[in-house]
Amino acid sequence: MEKIVTAFDDVLEKISRWGIIGCLYVILSGAVLSIVLRWLGMSPSWLEPLIRHLVFLSAFFGGSLATSKNVHIKVDLLTKVVEASNSKILHWLHRNLVSFFCLIVTTVLMKSAYDFFLVEKEFGTEAFLHIHSSWLVGIIPFGMGLIALRFLNQLILGLMKGDAREHHRV
Amino acid sequence: MSIIAYSTILFIALLGAPIFAVMSALALTAFYFSGVELSAVSVEIYRLASAPTILTIPLFTFAGYVLAESKAPVRLLRLSQAMLGWMPGGVAIVCLFICAFFTAFTGASGVTIIALGGLLYPILIQEGYSEKFSLGLITTCGSLGLLFPPSLPIILYGIIAKVDIDQLFLAGLIPGFVLMFILGAYAVYNARHIEKKKQSFSFTEMKAALWEARYELPLPVFVLGGIYGGFVTATEASALSAFYALFANTVLTKDLSISRDVPKVIVESLTLVGAILLILCCALGLTNYLVDEEIPMKILEAMRSFITDKYLFLFVLNIFLLIVGCLMDIFSAIIVVVPLILPIAEQFGVNPLHLAIVFLTNLEIGYITPPVGINLFISSFRFNRPVLELYKVSIPYLILMLIALIIITYIPMLTLIWFN
Repeated sequence: MEKIVTAFDDVLEKISRWGIIGCLYVILSGAVLSIVLRWLGMSPSWLEPLIRHLVFLSAFFGGSLATSKNVHIKVDLLTKVVEASNSKILHWLHRNLVSFFCLIVTTVLMKSAYDFFLVEKEFGTEAFLHIHSSWLVGIIPFGMGLIALRFLNQLILGLMKGDAREHHRV
Repeated sequence: MSIIAYSTILFIALLGAPIFAVMSALALTAFYFSGVELSAVSVEIYRLASAPTILTIPLFTFAGYVLAESKAPVRLLRLSQAMLGWMPGGVAIVCLFICAFFTAFTGASGVTIIALGGLLYPILIQEGYSEKFSLGLITTCGSLGLLFPPSLPIILYGIIAKVDIDQLFLAGLIPGFVLMFILGAYAVYNARHIEKKKQSFSFTEMKAALWEARYELPLPVFVLGGIYGGFVTATEASALSAFYALFANTVLTKDLSISRDVPKVIVESLTLVGAILLILCCALGLTNYLVDEEIPMKILEAMRSFITDKYLFLFVLNIFLLIVGCLMDIFSAIIVVVPLILPIAEQFGVNPLHLAIVFLTNLEIGYITPPVGINLFISSFRFNRPVLELYKVSIPYLILMLIALIIITYIPMLTLIWFN
């Protein structure tokens, strides 16, 4: 079970890494291209929204990577108290409680985003480059789903082992 | 029921749950108890994709990380030493300048201390500065360039407060130099006992250092000259900076390998960006709810009974923001607190640009304020020192920064001199 979860998490890690690298290259090339085209008196209307949506997508890839590395921005006042104690049970409880909370929140967000996607699919219009607006809105359920899966893996591994901190990638 | 839900969320937030999850949970709970469809939270999240300046965040951060990973810090250090090393306290002033440069590009995300700390600390010790002074200086410098363009917190503030980013970049210049001047004066004062002979000024060395740093020097010109010369917008400047930093360090200086190093830099920088943007989009739902419920106005009404003028308001605001800066990181603080204080400050007649700089200066101080100033922990980790020692060495700097804060708060002209 542990091996399967770890292997699955590695796949998600690769998707996030290559996704973010690809996004950055396209964003950078697109942004530079739009400046050059503007200087030449041309500005295709699709380029700017495309770049903005890629930044939006990369936020979720980045969020997925931040989840696996445990580098999300947080207010961890009580974390320091927990870490100062040597109680393994307290560490275990603390990590898994946080992972469980995040899993619930991201799953609810994914569901709410999916509902938004369905509404957009029915009432939305073509945005740019013949892309329907629902596909753009679809970035949110996809991204939230990706992050939810990372938290799920973290939780499973955390529950199986004594101290979930071992599972965070460095 | 709602009180139990909010209390649980706040408890889990204190346990170290990611801020984006906490914000989302608060928004979802608020919408649920108001009887609004939960998909409204996603509608708010999607608003981020239409923010025109969103592009500046990943591109400026990427440019900063590329510079920090390359040998640019070594080259810029040599140049600064050649230019300022001959002065009394020159090496410490070099630290101030070089850290400010890197913090402005990397957004005070700890990269400055991690990337430059190991380089600057031995130089300061070699020059005869005490360990206490050197540690305190590097810890403080880790957030020093926050008021200079193209600092990430300034951009984020502009997006949240809907204040023109170009104007914010200008507004931060003089207050940023005030902070540097005060810390520089302290460095000169500390250098008076140093027996070691001062480095003499060498024109040849400066020329050589200038030549070596020729590829890094155009970057501030791209940003400031480009924007204020009217050639490019802030968004375009970010694209040019990122492209130039990548080109210079992979093709011209060959410091970084495009296949080996650059993907690593992209992943590192965009992980931070992802974490920030996630908070930003997840907070949109919550802040929108708070504004809809007129929470800032209710706070304002409560405040009016004991705060009567602008100056008293600014004083209370400083105390409040210093506490916020101690407890929250700068990005979350901007996203959560700005929408709440903005309408209140407006009612008290505080200029939005002045408010922005006061706000950011407070949070800059928060980086070195015990018990949870993030720079204290990064330095503790980087230099392998107990965090309590960092608390002690940062106190003189904290006092100096507070003096600078008072100056910046009560002399608005320093911020607003550029504008009518």
